[in-house]
Amino acid sequence: MSIEKKKALWGFLFTVPALIFFAIFNIYPMFYAVWMSFHKKDLLSLKPPRFVGLANYAYLFRSEQFWNSLKATAIFAAGTFVPMVLLSLTFAALIVTRKRLQKFLQMAYYSPAVLSSVVAASIWLLMFDPRGLANQFLNFILNTKGVDYRWLANENMLRLATIVVYFWKYVGYFTIIFVAGMASVPRSVHEAARIDGANKWQDFWYITLPLIKPTTLLVCVMTTIQCLRTFSTQYLFVQGGAPLKPIDVIALSIYNTAIRDHQIGRASAMSVLLLLIIMSLSYLQMRVSKSEEVSY
Amino acid sequence: MKWFIVVCLILSAILYAAQIEIIFWTHEDPNRTPLEERYIQEFEKMYPNVKITRVTYPSAKIREVVLTAFAARKGPDIFNMEIQDAYPYIVNERVAPVSLSALGLKSYDELRQMYVEGTLDAVTYQGKIYGLPLELTNWCVFINKKYFREVGLDPEKDYPRTWEDMVRISEKLVIREGQILKRRGFDFRYPYYLTFLLPMVEQLGGSLFSEDGKSAIMNDEAWLKVLRFFKEWGPNGKNLGSPTYPAARKEFNKDNNTVAMCLSGLYQILRINAENPEFYASNEWMVVPFPVFENAVKDVRCNYYGHYYMVNAESSKEKQEWAWKFIAYMLSHPEEYLLEVGLIQPRKDFVESDTFKNYPYSKVFLEDMQKAHIVPLHPKGPQFEQLIKEAIESVMLTTTTPEEALRILKKKANELLEEE
Repeated sequence: MSIEKKKALWGFLFTVPALIFFAIFNIYPMFYAVWMSFHKKDLLSLKPPRFVGLANYAYLFRSEQFWNSLKATAIFAAGTFVPMVLLSLTFAALIVTRKRLQKFLQMAYYSPAVLSSVVAASIWLLMFDPRGLANQFLNFILNTKGVDYRWLANENMLRLATIVVYFWKYVGYFTIIFVAGMASVPRSVHEAARIDGANKWQDFWYITLPLIKPTTLLVCVMTTIQCLRTFSTQYLFVQGGAPLKPIDVIALSIYNTAIRDHQIGRASAMSVLLLLIIMSLSYLQMRVSKSEEVSY
Repeated sequence: MKWFIVVCLILSAILYAAQIEIIFWTHEDPNRTPLEERYIQEFEKMYPNVKITRVTYPSAKIREVVLTAFAARKGPDIFNMEIQDAYPYIVNERVAPVSLSALGLKSYDELRQMYVEGTLDAVTYQGKIYGLPLELTNWCVFINKKYFREVGLDPEKDYPRTWEDMVRISEKLVIREGQILKRRGFDFRYPYYLTFLLPMVEQLGGSLFSEDGKSAIMNDEAWLKVLRFFKEWGPNGKNLGSPTYPAARKEFNKDNNTVAMCLSGLYQILRINAENPEFYASNEWMVVPFPVFENAVKDVRCNYYGHYYMVNAESSKEKQEWAWKFIAYMLSHPEEYLLEVGLIQPRKDFVESDTFKNYPYSKVFLEDMQKAHIVPLHPKGPQFEQLIKEAIESVMLTTTTPEEALRILKKKANELLEEE
């Protein structure tokens, strides 16, 4: 056996535990969910699941609640995706151009990401309380007195509130990914551009941005997936008294269908549809970005 | 020496094998934990072969923790939840009937005789009884007398008897800064609509289900009046309260000028004592009955709900027997549950005892309970509650009219009822 083959074999052997783990905890539940989506099953019942074909899917396509969930998810994803990608890119550019405090800024931006989503949502819930900081801040900025901006009551404000929490929590995480992407662009490329007379803006626009295309793609795909799977903020806000309908995102709807309604077959059908949506969007992004063209 | 070690090992293995471990899941209650931990110690002392492991979960979390465990067929041996959440476990035969032999009884009738009439109905299914009540709870109105006097009201005379009074008094008590409520006069206990809102509808002649159970949302006029009441109550009306403010019962204990009245159970008294002993001792709080509408056609008070201890039907027969024995041991101390936790066990001998009668405001709660009934038990109960929540919050927080909210509620509730 050649050294290359031996290396490959050892490499494979080392990945086997991870593959087994992944197969048991990710692949198996995924296939089980697909199988379950064709069945009717009460989560508490000891009776075996009853095959119902595509009835769960047919129900969902007729269901007003499911379409509302799609709408709520789309609004959240659209409202989060654009600012998340643009601002994390901007923050990353600001960090890499700093000569001082680079590490501190990275840490400061990243710190909300280490907080548990539940803790983050609970903190923001206190701030969005009508007597909380959010109203006080807006009243101060807009020079108004005693106005309740109804962060948790008004449909649009509620949607904005969930977007704000999510943005605050994850912007640092994606900023760090962009920082890593920018750092991987060879210094010589920037120097060559400067020698050719490019200013800072041109360097960023014509050199950095095209060369971090794979990172941008990664961030776009990850943001999309994360936005479509959002759950804990909406869950806690509803627990805290906010109306469900405007923020009844798919993951929350899946949870309610399974845990509140005990309809595990229907919840599985919803998760299969969510998976298909995520996969389609990720594929589309990869096709559009053509990331393989990047080379130094 | 070798032989001695071998014998010791064998003996300890036999002893270990003979030990029965009972897993007991319950919701967090800081006052109940030390009490039940003591019962466990006492029980283990009486029966050294039994080991009880008590695990607590937050009230909001226990429903899903127990559900997922049961779905995976790994449920605890003993658990308790609010009856409306536990009811599907009975219907789906996931819990074992009460073991009469473990309780030393001869028949279910004998067991029924021990409890206040009707209080075991919620756990009776196809002639068998599936749970023993830890507590039955109804809610009355807690009043902070200081704030009443502050606005020129005499709490003893001017307390709200009707919902119309509640609006009038709340308007006097409320402190606003622009649109923001700095102090609420009273606020409801969102989102437990099956508990406090349904009786309001019933007072006006409405109900959740028809008598034959085939239709939902009965008597449009009654529902409309309640929906209009909540529209007026919320930020789009008189702005007296809203589900987006922190729970009134939690703020009440703090006595920090944020709420003057709240809706809660008898257990609140000991929680006030635990959280704010100064306020508890101040004699500045009191409890009054659940109000009724001025033109009520029925004198119905706040629905009561119960926590019943239940035993997993998939636990071994031996474990089930020990589990019921342990539950019976815990529940044989109703006085301590009342005095240390503030829970009412609906045992006849206890309700008639001096301990109960002399407990502060027990009469108010008991009299209200006699005019009330248990929350509706239906396998789709939580879904109905969600639909009512959507209707109430849509009129309170959005521009939806009560008529439109009722139309949607009625349509969805009946669809849900018809669904297989």
